[in-house]
Amino acid sequence: MQTTLQALKNQFTVQWEKQQRADLHQVGLPREQTLAALTWLKEHTPFVQLTHMSVVDWIEEDQFQITYLLMNPRSYDLLMVCTRIARSGATMESVHKLWPQAVTYEQEMNEMFGVEFPGSPRQGESFILEGWEDIPPMRRDFDTVQFVLDHIPDRPGRLSINTREFIGRKVGEKRLLHD
Amino acid sequence: MSLAIKIAWSLLNVLVAIAYGLVTYGVVRKTMARIQGRIGPPIYQPFIDLGKVIFLRTATSHGVMFFLGPIFRFVGGVGLFLVLPVIVGVPALENFSFNGDLLLAMYFMFFGSLGMALGAAEGGHPHSPIGIGRGLSQMTSFELPFGLAVVALISVGGSFSVTEIVQRQQELGGVLGWNLFQQPFAAAAAFLALLGMNMYPPFNIVGAPQEIPVGPPTEYNAVFQSLMMSGRSIFAIAKTVMFMDLFLGGATSIPEAFLKTFCIYMWTVFVGAVFPRFRTEQSIRFFLGWPTLAGVVAVLLPLF
Amino acid sequence: MSNKPDLLHGVPEIPAGSVPHANGCDQSCFLGERPDPLSYKEAIQTVKNWFRANSLWVIAYGTGCGSIELRPLGTARFDMERFGIAMRPTPRQSNVLIISGYLSIKSLKRVIRVYEQMPSPKWVVGLGSCTINGGMYWDSYATMKVLDLYLPVDVYIAGCMPRPEALIGGFKELMRMIKNGETKGYIDYIERLDWYRENQKQIIKDWDLPDYSW
Ligand code: SF4
Repeated sequence: MQTTLQALKNQFTVQWEKQQRADLHQVGLPREQTLAALTWLKEHTPFVQLTHMSVVDWIEEDQFQITYLLMNPRSYDLLMVCTRIARSGATMESVHKLWPQAVTYEQEMNEMFGVEFPGSPRQGESFILEGWEDIPPMRRDFDTVQFVLDHIPDRPGRLSINTREFIGRKVGEKRLLHD
Repeated sequence: MSLAIKIAWSLLNVLVAIAYGLVTYGVVRKTMARIQGRIGPPIYQPFIDLGKVIFLRTATSHGVMFFLGPIFRFVGGVGLFLVLPVIVGVPALENFSFNGDLLLAMYFMFFGSLGMALGAAEGGHPHSPIGIGRGLSQMTSFELPFGLAVVALISVGGSFSVTEIVQRQQELGGVLGWNLFQQPFAAAAAFLALLGMNMYPPFNIVGAPQEIPVGPPTEYNAVFQSLMMSGRSIFAIAKTVMFMDLFLGGATSIPEAFLKTFCIYMWTVFVGAVFPRFRTEQSIRFFLGWPTLAGVVAVLLPLF
Repeated sequence: MSNKPDLLHGVPEIPAGSVPHANGCDQSCFLGERPDPLSYKEAIQTVKNWFRANSLWVIAYGTGCGSIELRPLGTARFDMERFGIAMRPTPRQSNVLIISGYLSIKSLKRVIRVYEQMPSPKWVVGLGSCTINGGMYWDSYATMKVLDLYLPVDVYIAGCMPRPEALIGGFKELMRMIKNGETKGYIDYIERLDWYRENQKQIIKDWDLPDYSW
């Protein structure tokens, strides 16, 4: 793990670095170097397996963070490679040439966040949402509750309770009983 | 005995065989449930299912062959049953057995499945051909040991007639006169092949419900399904009657016939209750292994 | 029965000339005329309904988390087979469709196809609060909230998630309804097909199903 990290720092500009757990390290890379770094990691280090890919919406900074979770299948160490891209017109290089399973992740990220992966097959095909017309639903500026109230019929008479208050009251009652 | 009375008796036999097959199936479901520690359905559950299925309305149509598939299967079962003597010496229970009926019986065993294959393929469901392919390849492989066993019986007995084979066993007398003990290799081959014929667990990949929704009968419902259910029950009974005639010395009374067929059927059930499922190539390899070897030995042994 | 008057609900009035019986059945149960003998058609219908109620075949299709509770029903502890309930893998051979929890709009399309392919009579069981009013997923952009707008539901089983006992209770209720001939959902679906279609098209945006999936 440490040797890989050191080599990574020597070769690429690692913007920031964080140790989450003993077996989980997080590194931030600039967007231009990400694909090269991933290729290098797969070819020259034991981190050969792509376990997960995800997007986080940093709406305040007008950025998306794309995370690649790599695993060393011998020692089960995990390495998280993070990169930030601009939020408007978000595009990212596809890694499906390195890991074929990335196609499905990229299809889903394209549908749920609107991030484009040019060159990746099945971009733009519907994955879970069929016939979606609104903005991608996982973006934080998408108002889920308003969408549901507008589009999905409801059964009248549904009660909503403030969970915190309700449970607090229950717990209070119980305390009283026990005291 | 006039032909009309003979036909009436045979019809009655067929009906009794269907009912008996359904009861047997109920007993099997109950047995399986008890083995798994459950209470299980009542023994008459197959009758309820059959009744329910008959009362269903259907609106599917996939062409003539689709309709004919279950009918072929049913006819295959009835035909097999009709050429076998249930009790030799009692004309009412001899059905239409004649010299050389063993060949016709072997033919009928294939007939139903082939008809079913043609019909199910017309259903158009993509999983049906997969089930059919598995079923036919498995069938071809268990026909080999079974065919060898029958050839051994024919060459020793010198007759193609089931009636004569039964009489020969009964003349030898006693339990030891049965072909089960007279020709143990042929019996071993045939009884192992029976495991495949009845399609209980080690060899039930044909209708694997989780991967190819029940295989060939996927598209059949309502009356077609009821035909298939009754066809399957009479087919199972006809097969056990055949094995009783060939290897267990036939029967001399009705209770004896019931007891013997029930035991033969339960042999496959008990094996099935404790085994996981084979894949197609595994089951083919199994049938072409020891069972076929036993069959070859059974054919060659009388030569020495 | 206690002799204390029930103050909460008041004392029930006893109509004059009848002797109340423990089961709430009065004299006429014993002395009055017998109910009319069933007519021929009704008798046939009763027999059919009895067969149907005692052999429910459920299509093995789970949509939400509630389908986890369907699996224990087949095991030794709950054993639904003793009621004649069996799982069938194909819609052509099943009579009961269980919507087991939240139903995403993508699956709703498939469920409509499956439902229309089943031979009638057929019944729908809604399992879990998600099918009743959206439950925990009431504010999800991808699930429907009221099942009976899209399919004719015969029995709802409430709970999140309902225990297998509740499921068996629901099945027994369905069996009782079938025996009494109270289930008209599949007829309703045909008669008001336009209404159901309208609701279905309202939330399925890319409607590409045939007019009716035979
Ligand atoms: S009712 Fe509860 S258990 Fe059932 S699907 Fe909805 S959230 Fe899941």
